[in-house]
Amino acid sequence: MRKGFLALVAVLVLGLALAPCGLAAQKTIKIGINAPITGDIPKVGEGSKYAAEMWLEDIKAAGGLDVGGVKYDVEVIIEDNESKPESAAKAATKLITEDEVLAIVGPQSSAQAIPAGEMANNFGTPMISPWSTNPDTTKDRPFVFRGCFLDPFQGPVVANFIKEEFGFTKAAVLYDVASDYPKGLAEVFKEAWEKNNGPGSVVAFESFTTKDADFSSQLTNIINSGAEVLFTPQYYNEVALIVQQAHELGWKNPIVGSDSWGSAETVKLCGEECYGLFFTTHYAAAGATGATKAFIDRYNQKYGYVPDDVGALTWDSLRIVQAAIQGTGGLSGDLKKDREAVKDAMANIKEFDGITGKMTFTPDGDPIKCAVIVRISDKGEFEFYKSVCP
Amino acid sequence: MQLFLQNLINALQWGSFYALIALGYSMVYGILMLFNFAHGDIFMVGAYIGFGVATGLTALAAMGTLALPNWVILVLTILISMFLTSFVGMLVERIGYRPLREAPRASAAITGLMIGIILETGNLAILGAERIRFPSLIKSTTYDLGGVFVTNKKIMIVVVSLVLMLALNEFIRRTRWGMAMRAMAFDYVVIPLMGVPLNTIASLTFALGSGLAAAAGIMFAIAYPVLDPYIGIIYGWKAFVAAILGGRGSVKGACLAGFLLGFIEIFVGAYMPSSVRDLIAYSIILLILVFRPHGFFGEPHSAKLRL
Amino acid sequence: MVEKNSASPGNPPKRFLRLRQFLGDVPLLAWLFGGLISVLIEQQVGERLANLLGLPKIPVLFGFMLAMKEPLLLPGALAYVLVLYILTIVLIGKITARPFNLMAAKMIQWPIAIPVILHLVVLYAIMHFWADISLYRELTLKLTLIAIMLTLSLNIINGYMGEFSCSHPGFMSLGAYGASAVMVLFFVNDRLFGDAILPEVLGPFLFPLALILGGIVAALGALLIAIPSFKTRGDYLAIISLAFMFIVKSLFENLQFLGGARGLKGQPDLANLPTVFIWLVICVWVINNFVRSTMGKALNAVRDDELAAEAMTVNTRRTKMVAFLFAAFWAGVAGGLFAHTVRFINPNTFGVQRLAEILAMVYFGGLNSVYGSIVGAVSLNLLGEMLRPLALFKWIIIPLLLILIMIYRPTGLVAFKEFDVRKLIQPKRKPEKEV
Repeated sequence: MRKGFLALVAVLVLGLALAPCGLAAQKTIKIGINAPITGDIPKVGEGSKYAAEMWLEDIKAAGGLDVGGVKYDVEVIIEDNESKPESAAKAATKLITEDEVLAIVGPQSSAQAIPAGEMANNFGTPMISPWSTNPDTTKDRPFVFRGCFLDPFQGPVVANFIKEEFGFTKAAVLYDVASDYPKGLAEVFKEAWEKNNGPGSVVAFESFTTKDADFSSQLTNIINSGAEVLFTPQYYNEVALIVQQAHELGWKNPIVGSDSWGSAETVKLCGEECYGLFFTTHYAAAGATGATKAFIDRYNQKYGYVPDDVGALTWDSLRIVQAAIQGTGGLSGDLKKDREAVKDAMANIKEFDGITGKMTFTPDGDPIKCAVIVRISDKGEFEFYKSVCP
Repeated sequence: MQLFLQNLINALQWGSFYALIALGYSMVYGILMLFNFAHGDIFMVGAYIGFGVATGLTALAAMGTLALPNWVILVLTILISMFLTSFVGMLVERIGYRPLREAPRASAAITGLMIGIILETGNLAILGAERIRFPSLIKSTTYDLGGVFVTNKKIMIVVVSLVLMLALNEFIRRTRWGMAMRAMAFDYVVIPLMGVPLNTIASLTFALGSGLAAAAGIMFAIAYPVLDPYIGIIYGWKAFVAAILGGRGSVKGACLAGFLLGFIEIFVGAYMPSSVRDLIAYSIILLILVFRPHGFFGEPHSAKLRL
Repeated sequence: MVEKNSASPGNPPKRFLRLRQFLGDVPLLAWLFGGLISVLIEQQVGERLANLLGLPKIPVLFGFMLAMKEPLLLPGALAYVLVLYILTIVLIGKITARPFNLMAAKMIQWPIAIPVILHLVVLYAIMHFWADISLYRELTLKLTLIAIMLTLSLNIINGYMGEFSCSHPGFMSLGAYGASAVMVLFFVNDRLFGDAILPEVLGPFLFPLALILGGIVAALGALLIAIPSFKTRGDYLAIISLAFMFIVKSLFENLQFLGGARGLKGQPDLANLPTVFIWLVICVWVINNFVRSTMGKALNAVRDDELAAEAMTVNTRRTKMVAFLFAAFWAGVAGGLFAHTVRFINPNTFGVQRLAEILAMVYFGGLNSVYGSIVGAVSLNLLGEMLRPLALFKWIIIPLLLILIMIYRPTGLVAFKEFDVRKLIQPKRKPEKEV
């Protein structure tokens, strides 16, 4: 028995001595996707995944990614973050250290993007979150970027739009106190509205908790407060419930929303109740032209529904990453250097023409881009109504 | 006053759900002394089965093969879903609880929790991440009673819930099976020796509880027609609170606690800053338990708990 | 590589018996030494070995992740694990069994602290070199160690005391926010708390105090539950604690100065592997001593029969209170470490999902057992990471596994087993040559 062991050890030692150390530099670029495939918001993960698949298809069709005259194969690695902060941090670390990706797209929600961004920034890997609107995600983190505008921009856009369009002076807000995005936006909106219309002009500022389905007590308060318009920066599943319940409780005034309404599911879940309502978003699916339309049609054909803003933003983020990689003018093969180069190239993108609009980046890594006001038409389509630029 | 009445009506509807879900929970808890942590997910499965049945029946009606009016479809949906979901409940009992009858109660609670996760994930794997809109079987009409708004749906939900609760109460009090169940709640060691089949009673209890959960699921889907695989979790836990708050094995107690929970949530939301609703609502529950540590209708446990 | 306690009671099959006979005389120190050598070898030639076996790089979590993605690599990954971990450890363990047995026999006569510290140092060295290969390993390891603390502390309540408590995420968040608030206030230039008050060098010194403070905050929260719920016996602790969890979550959502729903980020990066390891060791040591003390025995007596315990002069109420606060304290400390590992917390992190996770670890590992908590936390954490490539199906496989465990071992894998350090480190003899 001992002899067998010894022989084995000898063979191993010999093998190790002869084995080549490390493989030759590969001509593959790896891009990581950090998305919530399971957990609370699986639909968001699905949108990100599909957009990434489409993007990869394009690259494959072109025979690889051309960087400084060299064709690289591209591999997309999709990692599930279970919509948990610590899992997102683990997923990011795994993508960076194990899969050795060049850049990461995602996570989508701020609660996951903040810890994941920490890891990405520490390990010097460029990361772009398509959907996270929390300023903390990119703040003081040179390696972290985002693909969407921030709350401080969107809030005033909505407030000004309502003022100009309807001339109302009393508004009510209904938001999810336990969720980062709606809460942030609700506060920014309140501030902007009170700046326009004087203090106390937000007559009802009501909240609920994630996963609540009944908003009747809050809506009763809102109706009794004499508000002329209801602003609710909620996700589409809650929008359907809020709008329906508001109508059942006798609310007849307009309800205005934010970019989180921008999903095909809004109309599917809400039905006729939502027709004629307005919201701000990154792009309008109905009446889109050019590249935006091409993207929507292709996505719709492939997966059977009009893409959400998450899908569109993920697509844009991937394109930004692509542009940045190509902007480096050639990769050295040294991952650390290349990541640095991609980060610099991304920060240097002067203007990017995405399907969600033209954008430029601030030093913090936040884009400056236009918002679109969309009206849900009587056919349930998202009609372009107006564009507001910073 | 008008505000108060409106909130009262809101609370009645919201409380009905909690009461119905808590009732199903309380069946299992009261009779078998088990925590059924899969209950919330059975509620979700019930709503999804209801969705399937309702869509199927509406499609049949639209094709003309089985031209039923909408209210018949609704009644059929509720009955068929309750029936189908009771089998899900029985299956859960068979897989997760029966093999663990001699084990610590908490272990069975963990299997329940795990079955719940499997139901959620399985749903996600089969139906995909899309949320589902429950078909509107009855046209919503809003009545304006002097500034207080009531819809026909709300009335229907409260009425159906009350009917189901009364029916269950009658079943438990008047039938032989009901008697067997009460006996089992009284003593699960001696009663089986007297010829009451423990396994059948356990299955029946789970079946009844799940049927009620399905009814609650469909009512819920009618009032709040957006379904996703995770809707059950939070209601499962809250019903757990209501079921124990009601007192062990008390149908009345579970109903009352369910309504109370609904009322507390709605009225705290209405009269206090809504952002601290959970904080205040659950502090109230905590206070109630300080003064009534056995719930409303429960008695101090005489039998030794198996944990 | 941490546990080798697959020895099951009863009559093991013949194969196992032979294996046990073959390995029965290997003392713990020899196992640890084998592990140390194996991770050192991995560090030196792991890359080459992996390449030789056709793997793109070192399999990070025992090759599972690789094999799941590309089934063709499975033989390579298996061979890697076999050669590098199993074979090396067994071989070295067996070869060095004799000298280490002699050493252990000598050490057992010294004060217990010396051999224990020696073992711990070797154990830490193994972890250190293992995690050194990749930061992903390190993060996974740190979160696993923290999970052990959480599991252990919940086991005091649910296992040793026999109550059903649902408030652990609440305690964890109290500890996490408590510790984070102190550290961020003093050492970080932050949006919420303003500029740092103290220089950064002091951070590591104040960090333990902050963690303890977090633990105390959690224990104070526990007092709030303990007063009403230990008046009587029953399931009321279950809902009182659940209500408490909802209350704490809602509280932090409303505390704007702690970030509210947006969460608190930017905790200084102080929870490195040695810190977490030391805290874990302290936690295991203190809890193990607690459950083996008179108090711990009294706790078991209360669980088994409260009336009888009372009759035997056990102050049941006080016993339960102390145990509950003690458990909450450690959950709070674990929460603080968690916050400084992930370096971001928000109230949603501590919801019912976390509760299900901790409960699963406790019952999977085994009630009333320090071993069990370690086994439960380690296996579920590693499994969760290893099955990551399966995405959705991971959450079908893990629950199924748990159900099976519950059915076949209703009290968990290693329940009701005392964690006796002396027994663990003593010299081993071959089972047949029993003296």
